[in-house]
Amino acid sequence: MFETLIFWGLCLLFAGIFVAQVGRRVWLVARAPNTFSLDDLPFRVRRFLREVILQSKTIAERPAAGLAHAFVFWGFLAFALYTSTEFLYGLGLADVRHAPFVRAYVLLLVPFAIAVLVGILYLMVRRAVFRPVALGPTVSIESIVIAVFIAALMVTFLLGLRLEEGTLGSRVNWWAHMLMILAFLALIPASKHLHLVLAPVTVFLKSPVLGTVPNLDFEREEVGLEALKDLGSKQVLDAFTCVECGRCQVNCPAWESDKALNPKTLILQNQRALLDGQTDRRLVEVYDAGVLWQCTTCGACENQCPVGIEHLPLIIGARRGLVSNGEAPDYLGNVFNHLERRGNIWGLTYEQRQKFVESAGLETFDPAKHEYLVWLGCAGAFEADFQKALRSLFEILQARGVTFGVLAKERCTGDTAKRAGNEYVFQELAAQNIDEFRASRVTKIVTSCPHCLKTIGDDYRRFGFEVDVVHSSVLVAQITRGLESHAADGTPVTFHDPCYLGRYAGHVDEPRELLGRFGGSLREPERNRTNPFCCGAGGGLLFEEKEEGTRISDVRFRQLQATGAGTVVTACPFCSIMLKGSQASAQAETEFVDLMTFVNGRLQRATGSSPPPGGASPGP
Amino acid sequence: MKIAVCVKQVVSREWQLRVADSKTWIRDQDASYELNEPDAYALEEALRLKEQHGGEVIVCSAGPARVSQVIREALARGADRALHVEDDALADASVTATALAAALAGEQCDLVLTGLQSDDAGFGQTGVVLAEKLGLPHGTIIMDVQLADGGLRVKRELEGGWFQWIAMPLPAVLTIQSGINQLRYATLKGIMAAKKKEVKKVAAPAQERKHEIVSLYFPEKSKTTRLIDGTPADAAKELVRLLKEEARVIS
Amino acid sequence: MILVIAEHSDGKLNRASWEAVAAAQQTGDPVTIALPGANVTGLAAELAAAQVEEVIALQHEVLGTYTADGYVLALEALLAAEGPSHVFLAHTYQTRDMAPTLAARLDRALLTDCVGVKGEGDGRLFVRPMFQGKLYADVRPLGPGPHVVTFQIGAYRADAVVKGAAAAAVRQVAAELDPAAIRQKPEAPFKEAKQAVDLSQAERIVSVGRGIKGQEHLAVAEKLAGILGAEMAASRPICDAGWLPMDRQIGSSGQTVAPKLYVALGISGAIQHLVGMKGSNVIVAINKDPDAPIFEVADYGIVGDLFEVVPAIVEALNG
Repeated sequence: MFETLIFWGLCLLFAGIFVAQVGRRVWLVARAPNTFSLDDLPFRVRRFLREVILQSKTIAERPAAGLAHAFVFWGFLAFALYTSTEFLYGLGLADVRHAPFVRAYVLLLVPFAIAVLVGILYLMVRRAVFRPVALGPTVSIESIVIAVFIAALMVTFLLGLRLEEGTLGSRVNWWAHMLMILAFLALIPASKHLHLVLAPVTVFLKSPVLGTVPNLDFEREEVGLEALKDLGSKQVLDAFTCVECGRCQVNCPAWESDKALNPKTLILQNQRALLDGQTDRRLVEVYDAGVLWQCTTCGACENQCPVGIEHLPLIIGARRGLVSNGEAPDYLGNVFNHLERRGNIWGLTYEQRQKFVESAGLETFDPAKHEYLVWLGCAGAFEADFQKALRSLFEILQARGVTFGVLAKERCTGDTAKRAGNEYVFQELAAQNIDEFRASRVTKIVTSCPHCLKTIGDDYRRFGFEVDVVHSSVLVAQITRGLESHAADGTPVTFHDPCYLGRYAGHVDEPRELLGRFGGSLREPERNRTNPFCCGAGGGLLFEEKEEGTRISDVRFRQLQATGAGTVVTACPFCSIMLKGSQASAQAETEFVDLMTFVNGRLQRATGSSPPPGGASPGP
Repeated sequence: MKIAVCVKQVVSREWQLRVADSKTWIRDQDASYELNEPDAYALEEALRLKEQHGGEVIVCSAGPARVSQVIREALARGADRALHVEDDALADASVTATALAAALAGEQCDLVLTGLQSDDAGFGQTGVVLAEKLGLPHGTIIMDVQLADGGLRVKRELEGGWFQWIAMPLPAVLTIQSGINQLRYATLKGIMAAKKKEVKKVAAPAQERKHEIVSLYFPEKSKTTRLIDGTPADAAKELVRLLKEEARVIS
Repeated sequence: MILVIAEHSDGKLNRASWEAVAAAQQTGDPVTIALPGANVTGLAAELAAAQVEEVIALQHEVLGTYTADGYVLALEALLAAEGPSHVFLAHTYQTRDMAPTLAARLDRALLTDCVGVKGEGDGRLFVRPMFQGKLYADVRPLGPGPHVVTFQIGAYRADAVVKGAAAAAVRQVAAELDPAAIRQKPEAPFKEAKQAVDLSQAERIVSVGRGIKGQEHLAVAEKLAGILGAEMAASRPICDAGWLPMDRQIGSSGQTVAPKLYVALGISGAIQHLVGMKGSNVIVAINKDPDAPIFEVADYGIVGDLFEVVPAIVEALNG
């Protein structure tokens, strides 16, 4: 029939536009070096069900908007069958609209339609009237258009149920509905609505582990991401999946402290540059000046993203490209020289570590005698305050009968080098450390430094080295589980979740378990647990003294002060250094105590014991 | 512009120093080694001059086979090629300078740079003696190097915060003050490129040494913190006395 | 006979030259002093107060300005004429610039930065620090004399010079050299115009931390800095608060300093600060907290109230 022919024509036209647009992006993905991986399939499937089907990420941080979006999404899924039957009819291929199960199904769709309508109206008002900052400074007209379309689709669907079939009104209504769907096809690919198609794929392909940055293969002369053409297929896919929700942006500590870095902008700049075909353009020119060096690698962006974008491999990859060319900022050049010459981030000689080991009476790790190897790390070797925290850990382990030793020689795990993009120094340090680990025949490592935890526990695995490594809070929670709880002693404390412990490793309960068990009255700060606000030390930024905007550590310190607690409990040497620096600058009287010291003080008092003889006595 | 940089490989600053059984040197079996830090500043200066004026930087080092480590490091940082005077026992500045002069003899360099002294022996002679062996003018403790009308204008550091510019003809030898520039780190590309750069081995000519170490030992007082007790007035007086007589940092 | 080469600049004798004289006198050998320069008769007469055989005023017009070439040529000829067994100099910047050339020209031994002398005659050994002062070596010069030896500044005391009963003779020697052979053309020495503070070149630094408690109390520290001729510096909180400008901040990035003397007042010793000043030669720490990490790296420390201790130090320095 004439109508059918027109419909065919329109379908082919809009489908063609859709395919062309999507095809272009798919081609860009396919052309990029392949970085897709399907490791840990069960995890991926579970995550897909949780995050895509159940929309857990969109709802978690923004419950109202997330739920509204979930309605729209579930509605979209539910309507798939209905839309298919209408197309089959419109194309003259089959007419199953009157089949009993289809009629029943269509009736079941009504609550979905209402939910979608409510959802989309809420979202439209939120975007256009409330104007949340995450969505950007201007109202996207395209978003409004799509929102109107979705609303109209629901309205035409509901109308279609009321209108008598065959009447003019009904046919106009049908055509309106179908035309909007076809227009949708044309609009989706060129906009952020492509996430409808891509997001499920991107989420599925996202690494199971936060901040997955593979080793560079020097045999193949890999140097990192220098130009747009170096972006891997996952990174290109990410660029087209971005839904511009801004969750990454508003959770980014750099952005929150008035710096130019905005993770959302990075992704969208990639998208723009890729579509412009500028394959040889240097990444450092695609992005705004200096932003790559403002990232603390806290992971908030990647962790919050509901559509599976991985910001960290992009930023670190781009850093690698710059570092390979000698374009790291000066203060990092210093750190790299320190790591290369002295094997630690401070550039100090190891006599200090030796002095500490001796004065604390530590034994050299012997697998025949010791259950755990305590990894001291750079802070453990050289930083006096953290050494006090470690002494507390030693006393706790001794009090609970856990045997432990330390390596005769340690060098930096290479965390700073890895996150700052100096892959060469990282691999050198890693290879040497792994040799020592293997020679020592260690099977279990405990450390109080979350950065060491991530590096040894995750990054070293890529060299084929697997070991059980645990953060001190987790081990101590485990070995004190049988003890009676202390009554809360009234003085309020607050706990600053380290990014590399809470967000990266997911250990947020164990520190709280310890605080609870040992009588701490905990006041949670804003941004806590798996979404803490970074202290500002990561990614080499510990060494950047001329920070732009506000200091990230100052922002976090104010958040901690706002809890009203006079004591901040930390579980990472670098959080402690940064926050104490902010305390000094603010001339505040807040006390800082490491979690181990908090626990040990109360443990010793409770058991009435004094520090065991033969070492582990405090003081230089 | 052809610039030669002479570098020395020294025992790593954190290598646990113990006196060898011979009592005339440290125990250095399986020691870790590194590029002498003052020479690193000389190398950096040479690389900057090359970036400014074009030409090539040749790194030169005298010593046993293990010296190739610091040669590779210098090549990774940007030196173009290397000369290795291979010799297992280089006893002093005279011997070393003679060896380096022999290696540089055929090169006709415009400029030869070295660090001002080595972190192990610390005599501070080799660069100056090298100038004498090459028959070239020299400048020491140089903070700034400028090319001017076919010659050189260098800024020399003097005591007490004074400085002096000196003009001299090219070619010349300069010993470079530490800390005058920011040392670049070895980049990945530099390290990869270094593998393909030329390292020419040169024989060391015979030369008598001019001194011998009869005995090497640890000094009696080692570095411990001296806490001074007493009333503020007494402690202050004692501190001033110690600073004058023991530490000798005030007069 | 030991020939001591004295040094002068700006019309004054370098104090370190007296130290070299003291070192020479303490060997027991006869001592002669030579002073290269132009119009140095007056300064030579000052040197003649020491108990020495004689003082040689080695004069030539071109020696009025120090150049390595000029001094080496003049001294080379003098040494040939005088034939000393040893040549002693203070290990000054000038000595470092020309002694190696002199020794190499003569193909003789040069031992630098020595802090003592052991033994006598041919068995004489010179003690010098090695491995950045961690070890000491007794070194014997080899080959025929003269052996050239330079002495670390401060190793001998200038006031240990024995004065002669009567002034020694001053002999004028016209330096033999060809001015055309001098390749260096030095300009006048200058002190850098202080546009920016460059702590990395400071020889002495007085540094303040949170213990100073308030901008109004900086005067206490500044007074000490004034007497010591030291630069002021601070830890980060002080600069953050604006009490001192940012270019005075000692930290792990940017400014690292290595002065001969670093006085830390009320500084706890956070690791970023320590990394910035650990290269200091002598570190003095004054802090109320005996557990402050700064005491781990200090050579001398006073646990006390800086507002009491620092004025006492100022008084002790004045008195």
